[in-house]
Amino acid sequence: MTEGIHGFSSPRSDVFPAGLRVLVVDDDPTWLKILEKMLKKCAYEVTTCGLAIEALDLLRERKGGFDIVISDVNMPDMDGFKLLEHVGLEMDLPVIMMSVDGETSRVMRGVQHGACDYLLKPIRMKELRNIWQHVYRKKIHEVRDTESLEGLEEILMMRNVSEHSDDGNYLLCGGDVTPGKKRKDAEHKYDEKDFADHSSAKKARVVWTVDLHQKFVKAVNLIGFEKVGPKKILDLMNVPWLTRENVASHLQKYRLYLTRLQKDDIKSTSSGLKLPEFSPRDAAGDRTESIKVQQNEAVNSYRTHSNPHVQNISSKVQEVDFKCSASLKPIKPKKILTGYAVDSHKASSSNIGISQSFGSTEYSSFNTTLPTQYSWNGGYTEIQFKQEPAPQFQVQNGFSNIGLSTQQVQSTAHGQALSKEKDKPAKFGSFSLQPPDPVTSSTWSMKNDQSLEPTSITNMELSAFLLQGEHRSSTNLDMQNKGAPEFNELEFIDEVPPDLYDALRFDGYPPDLLEYPPDLLEYPVIDQGLFIV
Amino acid sequence: MAAVPQLQRQFIEYTTSLYNEGYLDDQFTQLQKLQDESNPDFVVEVVSLFFEDSEKLLNNLATALQQNIVDYKQVDSHVHQFKGSSSSIGAQRVTSVCVLFRNCCEEKNLDGCLRCLQQLKHEYINVRSKLEALFRLEQQILQAGGSIPMME
Repeated sequence: MTEGIHGFSSPRSDVFPAGLRVLVVDDDPTWLKILEKMLKKCAYEVTTCGLAIEALDLLRERKGGFDIVISDVNMPDMDGFKLLEHVGLEMDLPVIMMSVDGETSRVMRGVQHGACDYLLKPIRMKELRNIWQHVYRKKIHEVRDTESLEGLEEILMMRNVSEHSDDGNYLLCGGDVTPGKKRKDAEHKYDEKDFADHSSAKKARVVWTVDLHQKFVKAVNLIGFEKVGPKKILDLMNVPWLTRENVASHLQKYRLYLTRLQKDDIKSTSSGLKLPEFSPRDAAGDRTESIKVQQNEAVNSYRTHSNPHVQNISSKVQEVDFKCSASLKPIKPKKILTGYAVDSHKASSSNIGISQSFGSTEYSSFNTTLPTQYSWNGGYTEIQFKQEPAPQFQVQNGFSNIGLSTQQVQSTAHGQALSKEKDKPAKFGSFSLQPPDPVTSSTWSMKNDQSLEPTSITNMELSAFLLQGEHRSSTNLDMQNKGAPEFNELEFIDEVPPDLYDALRFDGYPPDLLEYPPDLLEYPVIDQGLFIV
Repeated sequence: MAAVPQLQRQFIEYTTSLYNEGYLDDQFTQLQKLQDESNPDFVVEVVSLFFEDSEKLLNNLATALQQNIVDYKQVDSHVHQFKGSSSSIGAQRVTSVCVLFRNCCEEKNLDGCLRCLQQLKHEYINVRSKLEALFRLEQQILQAGGSIPMME
């Protein structure tokens, strides 16, 4: 029996897990009714189906309209396992199998066919209450694997929500992170050398450290942006363990980043984010004037910490009033978020936007002279706050996707990240730093009224700062390039439970980062201490 | 009409005996817990569905076992279904017979299967009449203005 079609609903990430859209498939009308009732009691949105074929049709019709499928193994019109496989392949949704039969062999088959769980009937309420974990887990994995920004956003939102739930955010944190594989990946992130082995392994993720990115950019500039190609870049970069694919994908992101920068260019006027030069330690003076960082405070705080003690910043940032739709999960102090503040004035294709604000067209100059390179026109500041585990970036990426108003987003994220409160639920604020308006655009939308400290630190500074953070444990400076306009993601992760980050890690690049929003380009490949002017 | 407290006492006693005698198990309690204002007849509705479904299954079973060449897989599949639906309302005794029934199917034991079918019918009819009695009692209480005591 099919329950009333709810229409195509969108995931209610804001109150996750409530509103989870569940499709229940069971040929037993009694169970169907009971399950429906039970799921409704969990505040989920339930659709029922008495036939497997019907279920598949429904899923196909409403692509993206469901978060999870629960199906009985024994369906009259199709083997439950087949349905399971179809759903996994076509819709890639988590599927929970049910049966009154709990024989090990059956359960095993279920798992083999891809079931994320196998429940025995009679099913209890508490078992159903927790099914959201499968949705969350999948999201996390997706994000990691595909660097999906949307995924990140969703995760962030979910986490944001969870924060408010009784279960504590940390259901999210602790619960879903699967140890093992993920940890392994995470551990690898920070060590480039490791990648040497990775190339042969499954899809090794390359961590595009500042250093690496710098090389990349250099190579690109040498070749000439228009003529660039992965092979050429690879050759020039001279990084033995890097593969052509790695470069190709990075290039793609870079290009996107540039495009975004270009677009942004138009909107961002010089929101004052001019970073003539900046060094994290510089007095506010410079920054203040040049950078109209709304979120000065936030940035400033960064500044003050030329060393990787983001923690300080965090505290400062805390005061900042960020309104992020998503909340950032506090990350361990050491984390550094890399934000790319891109001020995209005009990212000329050759200049990668950097010149935009600063007129320095040399992209490569980014590498060393930060100041020139940041066209901070409100663009995109990607500030990476590296945290120890550094996988947080993923979260960041998520942010970029979320087109939150930069200001808000940034602030929030920033604030969040910086906040030291450990008990603050991890909030990931995803926000795109894109300045809604010129003014804001510059820098980080860390629009905090609080004065973090010397003034506004442009994104660039932040980036620089972040880059500096190289020495931080993991080089996880994700040069996240988020398109300036849309992406300024600022994610400050202050205290994030390590495992949470594990889950969110992506190769060290927030998914978004790899996209290279134009801002990213501006993201100077900052060497350690580069920013220090 | 009996007074509410009396009816309620009766209700409690009756319910308790049903559990003690294995006609119903905890699942039934779960069902009762699911019932709420938005769905005041939830349990009755579910149980009615069960009755409908069961009768269909029993017929199917009878038919399947009457075939010249009995398809035990088919029989087993029906029993499996019955097992599932009986477990949904906590009709424990019915479920137990289903387990035995499945063994007979595996062994392709026609006699065994036929006996199991009989037993199944018997248990089903029992639980049905008991549940109907329980619902009647509930109705009486409600009509007398009382409320149904929650069973733990």
